[in-house]
Amino acid sequence: MSSESPVHGHEEVISSHVHAGHEVHHHHHHEESFVSKYVFSQDHKMIAKQFLITGMIWAVIGGLFSVLFRLQLGYPEMTFPILEDIFGKWAAGGRISNDFYYSLVTMHGTILVFFVLTAGLSGTFANLLIPLQIGARDMASPMLNMLSYWFFFLASIIMFSSLFLQSGPASGGWTIYPPLSALGQATEGSKLGMDFWLVSMAMFIVSSLLGGLNYISTILNMRTKGMSMTRMPLTIWAIFFTAVLGVLSFPVLLSGAILLLFDRNLGTSFYLSEIVVKGEILPNEGGSPILFQHLFWFLGHPEVYIILLPAMGMVSEVLSVNSRKPIFGYLAMVGSLFAICILAFLVWAHHMFVTGLNPFLGAFFVLLTLLIAVPSAIKVFNWLTTLWRGNLRLTPGMLFSIGFVSLFISGGLTGIFLGNSTLDIHLHDTYFVVAHFHIVMGVASMFGMFAGVYHWFPKMYGRFMNNTLAYIHFWVTLAGAYLIFWPMHYSGLAGMPRRYTDYSNWHSFNMFQDMSRFISSVAMVVFAVQLLFIFNFFYSIFKGRRVTSTNPWGANTLEWTTPVNPGHGNWPGEIPEVHRWAYDYGKDGRDFISQTEPVGADESKH
Amino acid sequence: MATAQAQLDTKWWSGGKSPFNVEYGKLMMWYFLMSDAFTFGAFLISYGTIRFSQNYWPDPNHVFNAFPGAGHANLPLAFVSLMTFILIISSVTMVLAVHAGHHMDKKGVIKWMAWTIVGGFAFLACQAWEWTHLITGHHAVLIDGKIQEIGTTVTHNPWGPYVPNLLHNGEPVSTTGPVAFGGYFFGITGFHGFHVFSGVVINIIMLLMTINGVFDRKGHYQMIEKAGLYWHFVDLVWVFVFLCFYLI
Amino acid sequence: MEHHVESSTEVTFHHPPGGSDTIKRIIKTTVLLSVITIIELGLGLWMYFLHKGEPSHGLILAIKGIIVILSLAKAFYIVSIFMHLGDEIRNLIMTIVVPLALFVWFIIAFLWEGDSWLNLRNTDGHSRPKTEQRAPEAKKPGVE
Repeated sequence: MSSESPVHGHEEVISSHVHAGHEVHHHHHHEESFVSKYVFSQDHKMIAKQFLITGMIWAVIGGLFSVLFRLQLGYPEMTFPILEDIFGKWAAGGRISNDFYYSLVTMHGTILVFFVLTAGLSGTFANLLIPLQIGARDMASPMLNMLSYWFFFLASIIMFSSLFLQSGPASGGWTIYPPLSALGQATEGSKLGMDFWLVSMAMFIVSSLLGGLNYISTILNMRTKGMSMTRMPLTIWAIFFTAVLGVLSFPVLLSGAILLLFDRNLGTSFYLSEIVVKGEILPNEGGSPILFQHLFWFLGHPEVYIILLPAMGMVSEVLSVNSRKPIFGYLAMVGSLFAICILAFLVWAHHMFVTGLNPFLGAFFVLLTLLIAVPSAIKVFNWLTTLWRGNLRLTPGMLFSIGFVSLFISGGLTGIFLGNSTLDIHLHDTYFVVAHFHIVMGVASMFGMFAGVYHWFPKMYGRFMNNTLAYIHFWVTLAGAYLIFWPMHYSGLAGMPRRYTDYSNWHSFNMFQDMSRFISSVAMVVFAVQLLFIFNFFYSIFKGRRVTSTNPWGANTLEWTTPVNPGHGNWPGEIPEVHRWAYDYGKDGRDFISQTEPVGADESKH
Repeated sequence: MATAQAQLDTKWWSGGKSPFNVEYGKLMMWYFLMSDAFTFGAFLISYGTIRFSQNYWPDPNHVFNAFPGAGHANLPLAFVSLMTFILIISSVTMVLAVHAGHHMDKKGVIKWMAWTIVGGFAFLACQAWEWTHLITGHHAVLIDGKIQEIGTTVTHNPWGPYVPNLLHNGEPVSTTGPVAFGGYFFGITGFHGFHVFSGVVINIIMLLMTINGVFDRKGHYQMIEKAGLYWHFVDLVWVFVFLCFYLI
Repeated sequence: MEHHVESSTEVTFHHPPGGSDTIKRIIKTTVLLSVITIIELGLGLWMYFLHKGEPSHGLILAIKGIIVILSLAKAFYIVSIFMHLGDEIRNLIMTIVVPLALFVWFIIAFLWEGDSWLNLRNTDGHSRPKTEQRAPEAKKPGVE
């Protein structure tokens, strides 16, 4: 391991060290068994695909849940006997029961936030892109990387089985606020389903930690020669900060979840005080439910950036490649990612302005929250200036990236409303909030993920996805996202609260019934189009147009210097050395200059 | 020294090498510990928050005043001092094991690892005694107008303020104290004890691997170093558990 | 137990092993940690005896403050000497120490909240009378 010559010949030094320890693995690939290649694979690219496909399965389940509860919201007076055939007592008489509705909403949130947009998004692209873009053979520890996936799988299994419990899955909202979530007698969903939720989440946290530690160590320690930190593509920077956020904030959720488990099963009073349920006075005394909210949101707020940052990074990369222009303000982009990462830890209580938080303390959270507008605005400005006068190639990945920028602006602006504690008194828990976070965090991050999938699909499978289907997918999803969530701003401003199954007896909001029905119809269309995307994905794996050149997009980054279908180890020969940053597009009259090309003597400075 | 010169001339961040001059395993261990520090931090901060929200909190000198074999003698902080010193000493033996590993001194590693494991078990034994003593040690408490004998558990706390001028079998009678005291005490020391236990298990594995000559064959004792980091972290956490529960 | 199929391209320089001065440093640190712990215990016992009388709030707070600072010193020595962080290069030290700064706001905000709950607990008596206060109110004159 130790070598006095830091640079050349380290291949030999280290490979001999490796061979001493593990005779099984050699430089040359022998035929791997099905299990070691596809199931318990330690190849980062295969693990990325496992994360992606598991994430897609979850996305379909989570999306389907939203269709079900939109059905209830859009058509509260109608009955759908088929629902009773499928769900039995949960949809007695063809109407979704209240408990079932809350379970659906809770699971929709949990699945989309954690399983799709955390594991599915950073799990996929961190694994795929880190070694390929920094020039490494694999992750620092392929073994832990594999375990990271399998802990996620275990978490998935536990969460999935909770759907089939007799008392139903957790139904206290994805934020699982106690005392509702702490007391089994409070609601059906707080019985066994809640324990499953907590245990599943503990497994998920382990997975996320194993992954995050690996991503950080790999990015810091495994960069190829010449790949200084400031030459890294923005994807890697974004993933790096995502991993930092995860490593420092998930443990706090773990603590909060453990205390909640104790409150549920051991009779402790961390979050409970002076409660009466159905006439029964509980002995718990002295705890505070707000404490849980603090612990939850100490993770919960970084979590939204864990979701958003990888999308930001990929969008930056895809925009630059397809504008054939350098990213505008590379260092400002890195700096704003850093600023967002820091601020993410300081603003958690802005989710709690009206829950009993000390209002004086809330004032500081308002200030810190509004500061996030600064780095966010820098990023938006830089994306727009990257596009400005670019030689745009409107590939599906590029369209989704532009869509991301649009959604991030629309959703980010409403964040400024909500970040003010005074305005939040009116807007809290209304459809305005639903619209805000779905646009800025949910749909925008999905767009980043789609951009990534379309852009790196050729690297993953050596084929292209079908463009026609991709364009249909893009336009319907973009239009659908705005048609679904834009109107919600109005009902929210009018004070229409979220978390109700049926508004028909509520005269103030009767005027929104047609709008609600419209939203539900669009939601179903958009969901169908996502199935089209999934069809396109799997169809293209086997039947897509083959990639013939190693660098189909004309991109600078290192992943396009590997063979079309790279084996385990990524580069057949030596790992290339890096001589420049990742964004030399349209420089000195040349379309693009790969990072591996040495800087010429007469080259202009960037 | 060619090595020293090479270190001075190095551009640490230029890629192709570790910017910290450590191998990734150690780096991951450090960052894992940082992450774990946030787990413990969250526990201790929650404890602080709840404690700040209470009008009354038991005096640790009063609660932790027993010593095995000393009967009812009032020995505030004595036993926990013993536990603290056990942990400090086991940390020292761990450093010595790591030091021996640097010198490829197999016998030294075995000796010091063995002592570290003994220290770990001793600490766990102390904790088991302390828990048992707290749970089974009953105290007279006035609850709903009746005097009851209760121990300290996650749901009961006999360490409230004394009822003035009320004696029961010659002992002063107290009211119930904040329930969160027991919950946090058993929760956090339990979580710490779990870390000690897993540390002991890791150390035993390391000891067996050393005895089997695994590290001699590898040519370095870096695994011992990583296990050492974890063990010292356990000691480090105890510094704060000791601070928060026993001292202030 | 890491399986490297190819190998990492990780290169590190050799850390020269310390000699007998390392042992000396370890012993010195052990003594230091023990002394600090004993001082802490002494302060703890002082507070115990103070509590038998009517101690001033400020004095107790000051003693507690000193104990916290001493504990931080202990943490520093454990991390820097026993965990050898002090021997690592500056980059590594910074990446580990700087994120811990997040604890500052974490602690301030949480404890502030706790204090605010205490305040609520003690001042909402106007709207929610305590049981022992309510009892006499229930007795209306002339009923008995």
